[in-house]
Amino acid sequence: MHRKAILFLSPSWILLLLFFITPMLLTFGFAFTNLSLTGTDAANIQFIGFQNFTNMFQDPEFRISVFRTLIFLLFSAVVGQVVLGLILALLMKEKRRGFRRFIGVIVIAGWVTPEIVVAFCWVAFLSDAGTFNAILQGIGFEPITWLFTFPMVSVIIANIWHGTAFSMMVFQAALDDVPKSVQEAAVIDGASRWQIFFRVTLPIVKGSIVTNMMLVTLQTLGVFTLIYTMTGGGPGNATQILPIFMYNQAFVNYQFGYGTAISLVLLVIGTVASLLYMRFMKVKL
Amino acid sequence: MKVSKKELVIHYLALIFLAICFLLPFLWLVFASFDQQATQAIKLPEKWTLDNFTAILSDPSNIRSFAIGLFISLGQATIVVIVAGLAAYPLSRYRLRYKRSFLLTILFMTSLPITAVMVPVYQLFLFLNIQDSIIFTTIFLAASGLPYAIWMMKNFMDAVPIELEESAWVDGASVLTSMRKVVGPLMLPGIFTIAIFTFTGSWGNFFVPYILLQTQEKLPASVTLYQFFGNYGIIEYGKLAAFSMLYTMPSIILYIFAQKYMSKGFSLGGASKG
Amino acid sequence: MRKRVKGFGLILLIFVLALMTACSSSDETESGKKELTVVYRSPGSVDSLKNFFDSGVLDEFEKEHPDIDVKITPITASEGDYFSKVALQMKSAETAPDVVSEDTFMLNSDANAGYLDPLDDRIADWEEWDNIIENLKSGVTAEDGKVYGVPSTSDSRGLWYSKELFQEAGLPVPWEPKNWEEVLDAAITIKEKTDGVTPLFMQVGKANGEAVSMQTLEMLLYGTGDTLYDDSDKKWVVDSPGLLDSFRFISQVYDVEKVGPDFSVVMSGQSGNVAFQQLFPQKKLAIALDGSWNARNWAENGAAPIENVEEKIGFAPMPTQNGQEPGAITMSGGWAWAIPSKADMKEESWEFIQFLMEKDNSINRSLTDGNLNTRTDAVEVEEYVNRPFAKESQAYLENAQFRPANDKYPAVSTQLQTVVEAIATGKLTPEDAVQQYKAGVERVVGKENTKVAE
Repeated sequence: MHRKAILFLSPSWILLLLFFITPMLLTFGFAFTNLSLTGTDAANIQFIGFQNFTNMFQDPEFRISVFRTLIFLLFSAVVGQVVLGLILALLMKEKRRGFRRFIGVIVIAGWVTPEIVVAFCWVAFLSDAGTFNAILQGIGFEPITWLFTFPMVSVIIANIWHGTAFSMMVFQAALDDVPKSVQEAAVIDGASRWQIFFRVTLPIVKGSIVTNMMLVTLQTLGVFTLIYTMTGGGPGNATQILPIFMYNQAFVNYQFGYGTAISLVLLVIGTVASLLYMRFMKVKL
Repeated sequence: MKVSKKELVIHYLALIFLAICFLLPFLWLVFASFDQQATQAIKLPEKWTLDNFTAILSDPSNIRSFAIGLFISLGQATIVVIVAGLAAYPLSRYRLRYKRSFLLTILFMTSLPITAVMVPVYQLFLFLNIQDSIIFTTIFLAASGLPYAIWMMKNFMDAVPIELEESAWVDGASVLTSMRKVVGPLMLPGIFTIAIFTFTGSWGNFFVPYILLQTQEKLPASVTLYQFFGNYGIIEYGKLAAFSMLYTMPSIILYIFAQKYMSKGFSLGGASKG
Repeated sequence: MRKRVKGFGLILLIFVLALMTACSSSDETESGKKELTVVYRSPGSVDSLKNFFDSGVLDEFEKEHPDIDVKITPITASEGDYFSKVALQMKSAETAPDVVSEDTFMLNSDANAGYLDPLDDRIADWEEWDNIIENLKSGVTAEDGKVYGVPSTSDSRGLWYSKELFQEAGLPVPWEPKNWEEVLDAAITIKEKTDGVTPLFMQVGKANGEAVSMQTLEMLLYGTGDTLYDDSDKKWVVDSPGLLDSFRFISQVYDVEKVGPDFSVVMSGQSGNVAFQQLFPQKKLAIALDGSWNARNWAENGAAPIENVEEKIGFAPMPTQNGQEPGAITMSGGWAWAIPSKADMKEESWEFIQFLMEKDNSINRSLTDGNLNTRTDAVEVEEYVNRPFAKESQAYLENAQFRPANDKYPAVSTQLQTVVEAIATGKLTPEDAVQQYKAGVERVVGKENTKVAE
C-alpha cells in the first residue's frame, strides 16, 4: 500500500522539489547577496549579509509598500470579494433558475477574463472620457480622473470585479448544502430570518467562508499584472504594492538581490496569513 | 422560508443593478474592437467594421503567439490535473505517516506568490541551461500551480465515498482502474474546476513567460498583448480591443464547455470543520 | 493490478523523458548558412529601423557575405523592459545575440557585467572611426577607458515652442531664451495672455521613468555647472547648489506659478504622446522641454502630421541657469551597436556593424527613423540637413553632456524621479527634496561613495 502511495506522490514531489522548493531556498540565499542584472555586481556575486534588509527597512518606500499591500489585501480580497460574493450568493438563492444563470454568467465573465484584459477594460472604463465618466456626466456630475485622483480605489474595485465570481460560486455551493429541513424546523420554532441566517446558515457555511477567504487573500497577494498594467504602481507610488516594488527594484533598478529580499517579505506575509487562517478554521486534514 | 413580494422585487432589482455594474466595463471593449478610430473614450463606432480583427488575425506572428499560449496553458493544465490527481489519491485514501505535515506544506506553498520568486527561478533555469524553452516554461507553470491543485483535488476526492470504490475493487478493479472509472467521473466537477483554474491562470500570466523565454518567436499571446500595450508608439486601441477579445475567447469557451460541471465544483465545505 | 502499475510507470517514464529531451532544442540554421542575430528595441507598430532593414540593405549585405544569413529580431518593449530583456539574453551563450543595439547609458553597466566585448582592437584598424562625432565617443567609453560600442544614433534636447501661440501672446519669434528666468517668464506670459493653453510641459511623472531624469532634471542641473556624479573622484554628488536650484525651478513651474500641464496628463506614461501628438498640433501647448526625436511625430508619415511645421513650431536651445558659458546645454543619449561577449560569430558581427556605419547606410537610417546621425560628414548631405529641425538638433550636440557612466545610475535615476514628482505635486519642498534625495542615494550607492558639493 505504501509503496503505491510513494509512487503516486512522486511526480508531484519531483516537480515541486525542482521548481518550487529549490527557487524558495534560492530566494533565501539570494536575499543576502548583491546579485544584479547588470553592472560590476553582475560579474561577481557576493554575500553581503543583512545589507539588503537594513536598506529595506530604511527605505520609506518599502514601509509604504507594505502598508499599501495590506490595504489592498483587506479591501479588495477580504472585504470586497468575500462580502460581495456572499451578498450575490444570498440574493441569488431560491431565484428562478434561468435568472440565476443569467446573473451568474455575467459575474463569471469578469472572472474568466485574463488579468491583462481586465486591466485594459478598467483603464478605458475609468478614463477621462470613459464609460464611467460618461455616466457621471449623464446624471450631472463632473468627470473625475479616477486613476489619478483615486488610484488605490480604482485598482481595488477592478480587482473585486475580477475576483468576486470565485467567492460567489463557493458560497452558492455552500448555501446549497444547507439542508432545507433544518431551516424549516427553525421557521416552525418561530425564528426570525436574521436569527436563521446567523444561527443556522452561517455556522454551516462558516468553513467555506474561512477557506475561501484564505484562498482569495493568497491570490490577491500575488496580483501583479492587473496593477502593473493599470497604473504601473503610480501615480507616484500610490499603488505600489509589494510585488510591484519588488519588480521595480529587480527589473528597473537591476538590483536582483534587493528585489529578492523584498520577495522574502512577501513570502512572510503569505505565510503569516495562511497560518492565521489555518489556526482560525482548525483545519482537519 | 417566505419572503414578501416587496422584498423579492428588491432582490431582483439589486441583482439586476449588480449585473449591470459587472457588464459596463466590457462595453468599451466591444465597441472599440469594431471601431477603427477607437480611443479610450466610450462611443459607438461610426462604422462597424471587422478590420481590427482581420488585422490581428492576418499577422502570422499573432497566430503563432496564440498557438504557443494554447500549448503552454493546455499542457500545464493537463500536467497539473494528472499529477495532482495522482497525488491527491493517497492523501485522501491512505493513512500516511507524514500526511499531515505534507498537507500543511502544500497548503503553505499555495500562499507563495510566484511573482516573488521569478528572479531565483531565472537563475535556476540559467544554471540548468533550460532557459528559453517553451516546454520547461510549461513545466514550471505546472509546478507552480500544483500546490493549489493538490489541495483542492484532495478535498474533492474526500467527498467521493470510499464505499463506491470498494465495490469496484471487489469486482477485481485495480486502484488505477477504480480511479479512472469510479472516482474520476464523480470528481469531474472538481477536475474541471481545477483545469479551468490553472488554464486561465497561466493563459493570463505574462510575467513568467516574459522572464523565462528570450526568443521573440517563442513568446505566448499574453506577452504579445502586453507588448502591444506597453510600447511607446501610437496606441491603436481598436486593435488592442480586438486582440483582447480574441485573447479572452479560449477562457470563455472552456468555461462554457465546463459550465454544467462547475456549479458543483465549488464546494469547499469539506475542507474544514467549522 | 501489476500491469496497471507498469502502465503507470510507463507514463512516468515518458514524462521524465520529455523533461530530459526538451532542453536539447538547438538553433542550427538551414542551408548551412551562419545565422547572425541582431537585436534592437522596436517601439511597436511603427518600427522605422525595421523599415530601414527591409529597404534592401540586408540583401546587399547578404550578397556581399553569401555565407551569412542576417536575422533581425526586434524586441517590442518599453525602454526599461528592453534593457532587462537584453541583459537576460546576454547572460547565456544560448540566447546571446550577435549584434545588439545598446542605449549608451546602459553600455557601461553591461560592459562592467562582462556582457560586452571591448572594440578597441577592431576600431584601431577601422578608418571610419575618425568620421564619428568626437563628443559621442565618450558616450560609448566605459569606466575602464575601453570602447564598447559604435554610436549609431544620437539625440539632443531643447525647448519646443509654438510660434503661433508665441505670436498671439506677443512673445518674440524666433525665441532664444538667455536664462531660466526668461523661460519661466515666457510661460507666465502665455498663461496670462491665452486661454486653455498649457504654458510649459516638462516630464515629471514617475511613469515616464528615465525621461524625468534626463529631459527635465539633468537638462536643468547640467546648466548650473553642477553634476550628478564627479568623475574625478568617482563620487555621487548628493547635494549641491545647482541641484537645489533645479528643484526650485520645477517647483516654480508646477507648484508656485502653476504653468505646467494638468497632472492627469503629465502623470501618465503616455504624457509624451499626448503633448506632441495632441496638444502641440491642436495649439494647446506653448513650450515643451523635450527631445529632438519628437519632430518625427509631425512628419508626413508621422503620428500627427503638421504641414509646414517649421513655420508653426520652433526648437530653441535650453539656456544655462544664468546664461553662463556655454550659454546653452543639452543632454545627449542615443544608441550604439555592440557585440555581446557570448556572441558566437564576432567577426561577422563586426563586419555587419561596419557595414551599417558606412556613410550611405548610416545616413539612410537617420532619414528613415528621424534620429540624429553620428557622423561628422552627415551635415554635408542635403537631404539630411533639410529635414525640419535637423540643423538645430545637430548643432546642439556641440554642447552635449552625457549621463554618468556608472552602474548605479539607473538606481540613482529612480531616486531622482521620485523626488521630482513629489516636488511637482507639491508633496516635497525643494529643500526637503534634496534631503530625501541625499538619503536615498546614500542608501543605494553607499554613503562612502557620495559627497556634498559647495
